[in-house]
Amino acid sequence: MIAKTFAYYLPSTEIEAAEVFLRSKAQGKQVLYYGGGSEIITMATAGTIAPDVVIDIKALPAMNALEIHGCQLILGGAVSLERIRVSNLFPLLGVVVGRIADHTNQCRITLGGNLCGTIIYREAVLPLLLSDAMVALWGPEGPRQAPIQDVFQGRMRLREGEFVHQILVNTAYTQAPFFHIKQTLGEKIGYPAVTIAMLWDGEQRRMAFSGICEKPFRSTAMENAMNNPAKPLADRVAQAMDCLPMGTLENQEGSGTYRRQILHKLLTQFGEKSGYENL
Amino acid sequence: MEALAEQDHHRKEAWEKVTGKAVYTDDLPITSHYCARILTSPHGHARILSINTTDALAMEGVKAVVTGENSGIMCGTLIKDRPLLANSITRYAGEPVAMIVAVDEYTADHALQKVQVTYKPLPCVFRPGDSLKHGAPILHEKLGEYARVVDDVTPQAGTNIASHYPVRKGDMQVGWAASDVVVEESFYLPPSAHMPMEIHTARCHMNRDGTVEIISPTQAPFEVAKQNACSFRIPAGNIRSRVPLVGGAYGGKVTVAVEALAMLASQKVGGHPVRVILTREQEMTTMPCRMGLEARIKAGVTKDGMLQAMELTFWLDNGAYSDIGPYMAKSMAADCTGPYHVENLLCDAYAVYTNHTYATSYRGFAHESLTLCVERTMDKLAKTLKMDPLALRRLNALRPGHLSPTGVKCTFSNLGDVATCLDQIKPLSGWNPSLVTIDQNNVRAQGIACFWKSSVPPTDAVSGAVITFNEDGSLNLQTGVVEFGSGSKSLLAELLADRMRISIDQVHVIMDVDTRVTPKHFKSVASLSSYLAGRAVLRAAEDALMQLRQIGAEALCCWPEDIEVKDSKVYRRGDPDVYVHFKDLVYGFKAPAGASIGKQVIGRGGVMMKGLSSMDPVTGQGQISPAWTVGVQVVEVEVDLRDGTYHILRASTVMDVGNAVNPKGMGELVRGGMSMGLSMASRECFRYNPDGKPTTLSLRSYKVMHIGEEPEYRIAFVETPQEDAPYGTRSMSEHGIIGMAAALANALSAATGQSVNELPATPERLWILLKEAQT
Repeated sequence: MIAKTFAYYLPSTEIEAAEVFLRSKAQGKQVLYYGGGSEIITMATAGTIAPDVVIDIKALPAMNALEIHGCQLILGGAVSLERIRVSNLFPLLGVVVGRIADHTNQCRITLGGNLCGTIIYREAVLPLLLSDAMVALWGPEGPRQAPIQDVFQGRMRLREGEFVHQILVNTAYTQAPFFHIKQTLGEKIGYPAVTIAMLWDGEQRRMAFSGICEKPFRSTAMENAMNNPAKPLADRVAQAMDCLPMGTLENQEGSGTYRRQILHKLLTQFGEKSGYENL
Repeated sequence: MEALAEQDHHRKEAWEKVTGKAVYTDDLPITSHYCARILTSPHGHARILSINTTDALAMEGVKAVVTGENSGIMCGTLIKDRPLLANSITRYAGEPVAMIVAVDEYTADHALQKVQVTYKPLPCVFRPGDSLKHGAPILHEKLGEYARVVDDVTPQAGTNIASHYPVRKGDMQVGWAASDVVVEESFYLPPSAHMPMEIHTARCHMNRDGTVEIISPTQAPFEVAKQNACSFRIPAGNIRSRVPLVGGAYGGKVTVAVEALAMLASQKVGGHPVRVILTREQEMTTMPCRMGLEARIKAGVTKDGMLQAMELTFWLDNGAYSDIGPYMAKSMAADCTGPYHVENLLCDAYAVYTNHTYATSYRGFAHESLTLCVERTMDKLAKTLKMDPLALRRLNALRPGHLSPTGVKCTFSNLGDVATCLDQIKPLSGWNPSLVTIDQNNVRAQGIACFWKSSVPPTDAVSGAVITFNEDGSLNLQTGVVEFGSGSKSLLAELLADRMRISIDQVHVIMDVDTRVTPKHFKSVASLSSYLAGRAVLRAAEDALMQLRQIGAEALCCWPEDIEVKDSKVYRRGDPDVYVHFKDLVYGFKAPAGASIGKQVIGRGGVMMKGLSSMDPVTGQGQISPAWTVGVQVVEVEVDLRDGTYHILRASTVMDVGNAVNPKGMGELVRGGMSMGLSMASRECFRYNPDGKPTTLSLRSYKVMHIGEEPEYRIAFVETPQEDAPYGTRSMSEHGIIGMAAALANALSAATGQSVNELPATPERLWILLKEAQT
């Protein structure tokens, strides 16, 4: 039970949502946009957050878009992970989100929620980083669009009152060959020790990671190391490991050195399976 | 044995459960109930400097705020060392510090946030070994002054020792002298959770006449009445304790804790109905958990593998309060060698206080922990001797004529057949003691473990059964056994149907237990339902049969000994056409001429444990248990040596169940135990920060095995009847768990070549062992 009274808004337009946000903020209230609720409900129950106002944006029609428009895949911010997986419109994104949480939660967690939530792994961002997705945002200043690389730096850097409205992906990327591997620290369903998502960009492989460091990231330096045809696999893996953009994640689920060991194994496996040796 | 009891039946409550209609305590209507919530300590060890309840009390809808200062009740199963609400000191994170009673859950929750407690943190101690060191913080300064409920606990004032049980047998010097090989191993097992689906809760109201009603999912309703009567100083008969179906217990619902809080809450609001509810997080930290263990074993064998001597020390991590922990230490001491013959023996088992959540019984009653230590030692011996681990075990297996650690002479009846279990596990598991290389990174290996367990009931444990009849001649069976998922009430119905020679459909089982109407069963623990309650049911059946024969004889004009009872009918022997159906007989028989014959039939059966004695305080010798159940388990794993990740491929169990009654039902119980054991051994563990606060307090961070992660299970039974048990059936409902941690650890040790002597056996732990071996 959430032992606190809070106001619940169900706006019918984006403008209304943003207005409610601004108004509540001006009154000094704690405001949260609400999607699937899997984080807000559990954290509020545990007492770690105590919002005064929640604005439920998942009923906005554009937030539920899941369609191809011309050469663009449009993913509404409130589309559930389950819908993304079943639609198979972006197969790499489908397999990545199909390994986040269990099925019950996949039916609740939204794309926007996974990107903007507090759980650090945010694996849904990996395919978006690899496919140069655009993020459509809505906020008090109206709508704006920006490349995901600009908005996502470890987490979504949103302006006050903004929410993820839609994600736009060029279909040239959604249909590209891909590879995904996730290793947990022992469970079938759990947070990643290391997740690697890979997407072919012509002859080159793009790679993004979660679990190994505190933040998910795409690393061109690691891609270059792994894409280098001149070196034997072991050297490429070693070089890629040296290019990690930040320190390794250390928490009670697994130590940093152990995560590095798993990354090493997966990169090696990855190299072997996708035929780097023959390049 | 009659055929009926050997058949497979659905358990009586199956349809209610699989359709989601079964009613558990918190499914009962909450109309007119106040709600009580508890505030718990965030510190592992702290002095409570002040509790300010003014703001909470001022809230509209708050009916009472209770703290340790204004309750003052001390609880405990063996030693009264646990305040119902912490009083001036809190000894584990999660300990109840204050309780709010309010009109509803929301108000109670909200009011909890308004209670201000100031603490002064004190040094914590988490491992029993550290707890015993000189200068360690002493948890209970008044340990010597606490009231003791039983005679055989030995709290040592000025230390953190709640109790100590020694076992001495043979001559250690002779044993070591005869040993060619000696190994010494150390072990650490962390505390973990019971994790029932249904969390603890309790309801209570007090009537104007001074009687009290409590409803809760407890394994021990008669203890609820007894202990609460003592705590609140009222006659036990004034307390009525009721138990609907229980949604999983695993030993974690024996302690009387929430029931006492509920009674206190109701008392503070003038007897008004109150429901105490906990969160899942409180279920995990506030309610007692599974014990931790530190242990050291030294064992000596001749070069051909005969065990000569064993020296064992167990330091049981009892957490902040003793509860039943001392008896788990006693139980480990009594069965310390595993099912092996050891002439020369020295064992010391200690229950030690730490700043962990207090420990209580858990499926296996410490044997799941003991067995890991003993069986890892056996594998170490086998490795040193270069012997097949199975062969070493068979060589040393206890046999009829041997003496147990506490000096009980083993017979097939009281022990079962370890050697045959070992023989049968070979084909069942495809036993292969050699490491199998899959490729350059992956290997497969098997691990084996023998187990045994005796139930150690109080020497005066009782049970009882009452049989009444319905208009149609069907039976109602009433026992004090709580149904928490093991199907024991259905098993009792099968015994009754078999003895009465009627269809199982004609037996109705009263699932709820109500201390006002149900004959006492001491506690639904120790897998003793069939042994004790089963005998009570058979006696009640005999009693009913005798009455039926008597009325039948009068009705059919013959002698009672010429009457036969079958298919709900009473016959004259030799002439099956002359009979009276139960429905015309069970309330007395009305003769055609109108004469009334006999009276209502009510079957009753009572039983009390016989022949048990306490352990000698110096040597540990004594018969503390009626019998053992033995078995063998094998686990097969595939390990990736690069990072220690592994899959459990297969798990096999051969258990000597005495006689298989409802074999499918028994198989499912064993399978459930195996799954629970693998989960516990592979991943379950409470972790704590340095201040003693658990960091694994939700099911997000505390992992249990899920569907889809289970291995293939193979189960077979050996049948060596236990002569004094109903149908020769042995206790078996806990036992599937006992050897699993050991078999898994042995398999992983075989795969990695390293000693896996700590749990949980996570991939990272294996990787660390592998890495250490390289450097």
